Amino acid sequence: MWRKEIRLAGSGGQGLGLAAMVLADAALRAGLHATIMQSYGPEARGGASRADVTLSDQPIANPWFPAPRILLALSQKAWDRFSPKLGADALAIVDLDRVQGAQGANVWALPFERTARAELREKVAANMLALGALGVVLEHIPQEILAETAQSRAPKGFGQVNRTAVARGWQLMGDALGGIAHVESVGP
Amino acid sequence: MSKRELISGNEACALGALASGLRFFGGYPISPSSEISEILSSRLPRAGGVFVQMEDEMASLGSVIGASLGGLRAMTATSGPGFTLMQEHLGYASLAEIPCLVVDVMRVGPSTGVPTAPSQGDVMQARWGSHGDRGTVALSPASVEEVYNLTVHAFNIADRLRTPVVLMFDEVIGHMREGVELSPPAPEDLWGRPRPAGAPGPDFRAYAPNEQGVAQLPAFGDGYRFHVTGLFHDERGYPTTNPDLVRQALERLERKLDPIPAWLPPEKYHMTDADFVYVAYGAVSRVAREAVDRLREKGVAAGLYRPRVLWPVDEAALRKDLAKARTVVVAEMNRGQWVQVVSQALPPAIRVVSYGKTGGEPVTTDEMYGLAADLNLRSVKSS
Repeated sequence: MWRKEIRLAGSGGQGLGLAAMVLADAALRAGLHATIMQSYGPEARGGASRADVTLSDQPIANPWFPAPRILLALSQKAWDRFSPKLGADALAIVDLDRVQGAQGANVWALPFERTARAELREKVAANMLALGALGVVLEHIPQEILAETAQSRAPKGFGQVNRTAVARGWQLMGDALGGIAHVESVGP
Repeated sequence: MSKRELISGNEACALGALASGLRFFGGYPISPSSEISEILSSRLPRAGGVFVQMEDEMASLGSVIGASLGGLRAMTATSGPGFTLMQEHLGYASLAEIPCLVVDVMRVGPSTGVPTAPSQGDVMQARWGSHGDRGTVALSPASVEEVYNLTVHAFNIADRLRTPVVLMFDEVIGHMREGVELSPPAPEDLWGRPRPAGAPGPDFRAYAPNEQGVAQLPAFGDGYRFHVTGLFHDERGYPTTNPDLVRQALERLERKLDPIPAWLPPEKYHMTDADFVYVAYGAVSRVAREAVDRLREKGVAAGLYRPRVLWPVDEAALRKDLAKARTVVVAEMNRGQWVQVVSQALPPAIRVVSYGKTGGEPVTTDEMYGLAADLNLRSVKSS
């Protein structure tokens, strides 16, 4: 059984809720199962917000998990709050400029926001760059499906930006890993 | 490409209600049920219905009762604090036989408790929350798809038996999104209300029960004159204190709910040879199912018994279904509520254990599985 418990965390307004929807929807389109549990209340309005996504090739009984296997942190607060819970074999992806002190063999710090601003002229597309990076390590959702889903679920006027952002994030992670920039469909 | 949509339990509830022909929603938004109000506030008017945000939860259910007396399918949605305020009107709707749906998305209580954290603490309140004896109906879905389907069933039961129905699920089920393919009910799958017996006139008896023991009220505006009250009443609806009539009415109101457990039988997972049984509903049952799979891999004859109807209880059926069990663990996100039903129904030879988790954290599969080891199931312990 393949199963991944992923926490997307950042501050309210960074679009982690949308990222979770895109990720889970892309997983469904790739023939997988997906659930989302999102933080509600004040967190979603400016504090450390999070969305927990579970992906599996089997139906998912429990959408809730105490600690993620993969953490995506786009803010310092999110990193400080959730990284202590990470297990030894967990993997983390963080924004290079937003998060300080994230180190370890399984931690990848990439310039999502910087790239979004410089290349796409849209700081808010950092979430989709991060999603592209995440797609590489998940190995079960083809890039095209993730990019297509990001485009179709984008707010009006952001479709192409989001598609490009996913591809660019995929590339950033591929480069960081040493060239594993393309994963073919390996879904069930 | 999959047709599965990524929707939440609350969203499924709103969609199920619309598919059931909902025409009136009166409510006061409260987390973790707010999305139901939010979605219906825009979708219901477009479907030809009326959405009213009321001043509080008492008024909310009052408005629903009024709309229902006018012949409309009507509902409200709330959480613990609001559910408490609705108890008076739930009792009224029971006695006056007014169909309505109350959705309770449970969060940690008492009082305002822990907003948005999951709980199953309202189970006994659904049974006994209103004063006086009365039969109650409470349904408990365990998946997004089942929220949709049980919302349809809830309206059907409410209409056919002229009773309030509570659809209750924990915050995990309400907020969880999962991929589902919803199938809207066919027109013949939507039940109606009993038709009034007889023509308008001085001899008309709105509360004369049909063969199922259900009153046959017309809707307001149908041209009949009749009386509706929260006092015990005769068949014309006028108050009575006649002890025989009161006893008969009370008994009939409870008895008419008897068919419900058979309409929505429990889910039995690996139950045929199970001697170690989890009894669980809502989000906890999903975790219990995974624990059963893991125990089976270890050679333990484990099973899951998942009631979809929490009230009323068919005690004889429950006893029969669990007769082969040696140990029954009733796992709930409360300090032990439905376990009281189970332990009352089963003979002393069957060990009934209550596992109640509180604090707003859901039960995990590891916890549920570990529970079996704690109960001295040797094959698990030795692994």
